[in-house]
Amino acid sequence: MAILQLKDVTKVYEGKVTHRAVSQLSLDVEKGEFLAIMGPSGSGKTTLLNMISTIDTPTAGDIMIEGIRPATLTKNELAHLRRRKLGFIFQDFHLLQMLTVEENIVVPLTLDQYDVEEMQRRVDSLAQSLGLTELLHKRPNEISGGQAQRTAIARALIHRPSIILADEPTGNLDSHMSREVLELLSRVNEQQQSTIIMVTHDPIAASYCDRVLFIKDGQFFNEIYKDERRQTFFQRILNVLSLLGGGVGDLSSVRVSQRHPQ
Amino acid sequence: MTFRQFAYRNVIRNSRIYAAFFMASCFSVLVFFMYSMLLFHPNIDESILGFMSLFGMATAELILVIFSFFFLFYSMRAFLEARTKEFGVLFHLGMDEQQFGRLIFLETMLIGIASIVIGTGFGFAFTQFFFMIVREILRLDTLPMYFAWEPFLLTVGVFLTAFIIVAYASIATQRKRRTIDLLQERIEEQHDVTLMRALYGVLLIGFSYAGSIIGVMMENVAFLFIVPPLGILGTYYLFSDTLPYILERFRLNKQRYWRSSLVVSISETIHTIRSNVRMFFVITIVSTLTFLTIGALATVASYTTQYERLNPLGMVYKSTIDNPYEQQHIASLRNQLESEALSYNLSRFTVVKQTSSYTKYEVEVFRESEINHLLFSLGYPLVTLGTGEAMFIPYSEDAIKTLANHTVRTVLKENSIPLVIDSVYPQFIFPSNFVSSNSIIISDEDFAKITNPLIGTTFQQSAYRLYTFDVPQWMELEEIGVVINAMVDQENVNPLGYQLPFYFENAGLNYSFILATYSLFTLIVLLVAAVFLLAAGSFVYFKMYADLERSQKHFDVLQRMGLTDQELHRLVDRHLMPQFFLPWIVALAHSSVILISFNILLEHFVNISIVDEVIIGFFSLIVIQVIYYYLIRWRYIVHLKQGD
Repeated sequence: MAILQLKDVTKVYEGKVTHRAVSQLSLDVEKGEFLAIMGPSGSGKTTLLNMISTIDTPTAGDIMIEGIRPATLTKNELAHLRRRKLGFIFQDFHLLQMLTVEENIVVPLTLDQYDVEEMQRRVDSLAQSLGLTELLHKRPNEISGGQAQRTAIARALIHRPSIILADEPTGNLDSHMSREVLELLSRVNEQQQSTIIMVTHDPIAASYCDRVLFIKDGQFFNEIYKDERRQTFFQRILNVLSLLGGGVGDLSSVRVSQRHPQ
Repeated sequence: MTFRQFAYRNVIRNSRIYAAFFMASCFSVLVFFMYSMLLFHPNIDESILGFMSLFGMATAELILVIFSFFFLFYSMRAFLEARTKEFGVLFHLGMDEQQFGRLIFLETMLIGIASIVIGTGFGFAFTQFFFMIVREILRLDTLPMYFAWEPFLLTVGVFLTAFIIVAYASIATQRKRRTIDLLQERIEEQHDVTLMRALYGVLLIGFSYAGSIIGVMMENVAFLFIVPPLGILGTYYLFSDTLPYILERFRLNKQRYWRSSLVVSISETIHTIRSNVRMFFVITIVSTLTFLTIGALATVASYTTQYERLNPLGMVYKSTIDNPYEQQHIASLRNQLESEALSYNLSRFTVVKQTSSYTKYEVEVFRESEINHLLFSLGYPLVTLGTGEAMFIPYSEDAIKTLANHTVRTVLKENSIPLVIDSVYPQFIFPSNFVSSNSIIISDEDFAKITNPLIGTTFQQSAYRLYTFDVPQWMELEEIGVVINAMVDQENVNPLGYQLPFYFENAGLNYSFILATYSLFTLIVLLVAAVFLLAAGSFVYFKMYADLERSQKHFDVLQRMGLTDQELHRLVDRHLMPQFFLPWIVALAHSSVILISFNILLEHFVNISIVDEVIIGFFSLIVIQVIYYYLIRWRYIVHLKQGD
């Protein structure tokens, strides 16, 4: 059974001009799957992710996370759902500036009032596997972007969530750091069987995934599954993107011409 | 890391932002505590001055508490607003509402308890010094340091309550937020600036100014009540609409706008004003309060300095004809003066009341030779009057002007003495408590003709005696006639009315009282004004730090585009100056208008003018403010350059 189910999800923004950000989208994500969502700017990717994150609610349709319907929960129950089942990675890291790397990582456990020794155990093992041990006592403004994103990933993993939601995790990183972060994510996905949903602009980032879902104007456009070689998968992603046309190329076409996945 | 540690670290590691706020709250706790120490002092409440100081302290405490409460509340809100993004992340990571509440509560209490402890601690350390000053002012022999739990209990109780209320109120105001709005860089929804709303600002302020002037002119209190609400509302509109409207209009005029080097500055200023309306508003109101307290101080100062002019005589003793104590009192006053070795000049008057045919009212008649005796000792010009001539005695300084061109032909009815009153004595002689507003001097010949008393009374009832002691060293009179003065003071509060056969006023004694009150008032006002100033400064400081990151980016871009250091400094000036001085200019305008109307009122009733003192007070405030500005600007530029 799918860990995440979306059925005919629609989001309409009321305002001076009514805007349909997501329209009748259905999606199933299996446990252990690494899914990328792609689409041009304004196609509703982030809105979709926010609804899965439970910080936004769909206007119509149904979302189900591990058999739970967020729509039926209170604000506090949603907070508890987020802190136990979901892990978040953001484009601009969103680390808390006044906490050290170590403290940033344990925030989800602090909120859930874990035992301090248990927190320490988890931080230590996680820091080791993510190569953060040296940095644990530094403050976010003293580390590089790649290290900050690794810290954010550690924060997203520490409470062993069912689903990790990543919004453009490589958007603010250079190519070297991007690769590092993406390899880390796919390692986490393989070794711990974590489910990862990643919104991205970058076809290289998407080529690390098991499946890429394309949306356009808030509607399902296409989806493709990975094959044996990442190089060919990357090429197929580019093909779909060129079909999507228009705005998709805005950022990625420049990158594509400059570098290729190794 | 437990949740409590988390809250603790949030505050401790943000100490740079909280520093000014923390200092301001510590200082208000400190001042409050020192006042409480005086309030509960075991030997202060004996004298009338003691009562005055208790009253002053209690009022100051009340003002401090109310002000501190709003200051704390507003600051907390500003801090929370600056941290929306951080809260967004935490909500995203699954913080629930209770935890948010607990976080804010713990943080507020941490700052609160720390500032209470430090404020009370320093307050206790400084109390000895404070007592020394108060002892000097009140001329007490001793004002020993003491230890009691009441001042501590009061201070801790009041501020702890304030912090708890502020914490809960801040939590309540944050409840409506939605997580999704917190995280995304929100473009603030700003309403459109319209001519209509821009006019509100001008009109409301105009109405309140007019209300204040008209109210004073017409002596109509109702008008004065509309002044504060209209003024406050108008000030808000001024910042939210009127100023942005004017600047926007200027912006539309490309001919001038683009040519001038103001392109960046004006758009910056519009942005600054529009996104900080509430800060501008609060600083303006707080500054206006500061100016007004300084104005009140100036009033008392000018009353004190003009006291001598209003009281040319050292001591005055007024007696009915049948007063049995008359001789005894005068003799004792003379004895005391002699034993203190103070030189004096005693003049004695017999004043008779008659009815004027012109006004049909009583008029008090003084005799030329008796007046001249006093005038001679004062060194004032003497009076020469022929038969049938008379002169007004001015009852106030203003009266000299109004009576100068006034000619009255009248007859003293009882004795049919015809008089022409065509002049006024050009100096103020008697304190206004002693002579009626209808007092005249007549020649000795005419005075001798007064044989019939006021209609319906005996001669004893229609006349009184006045003894004036002209003492050059009148400020040293505080030990003289204390007993008589005490009897007068006691009778003054007699609910059945004044019944003693005599009345006494000692300018020297009153002066020492007024001087002590004045010094006490100065002490209270300066401390309260210092709290106000510090609070306003802390808002500015906080806003500056909250915007620092944005400004760093802004100036970084400009420096890349090729900006010299001088140009950078000029730009920083244009960026900081409006934030800093705009509220002050508005506050200066507000308080000037209020003080001008207050001055009209004072000139009318007490006959003193506060213009000089207010100008000196404002000038020194402006100097402090300019120094303060350069201090902040210096820190700001240092931080900007660190950001590179």
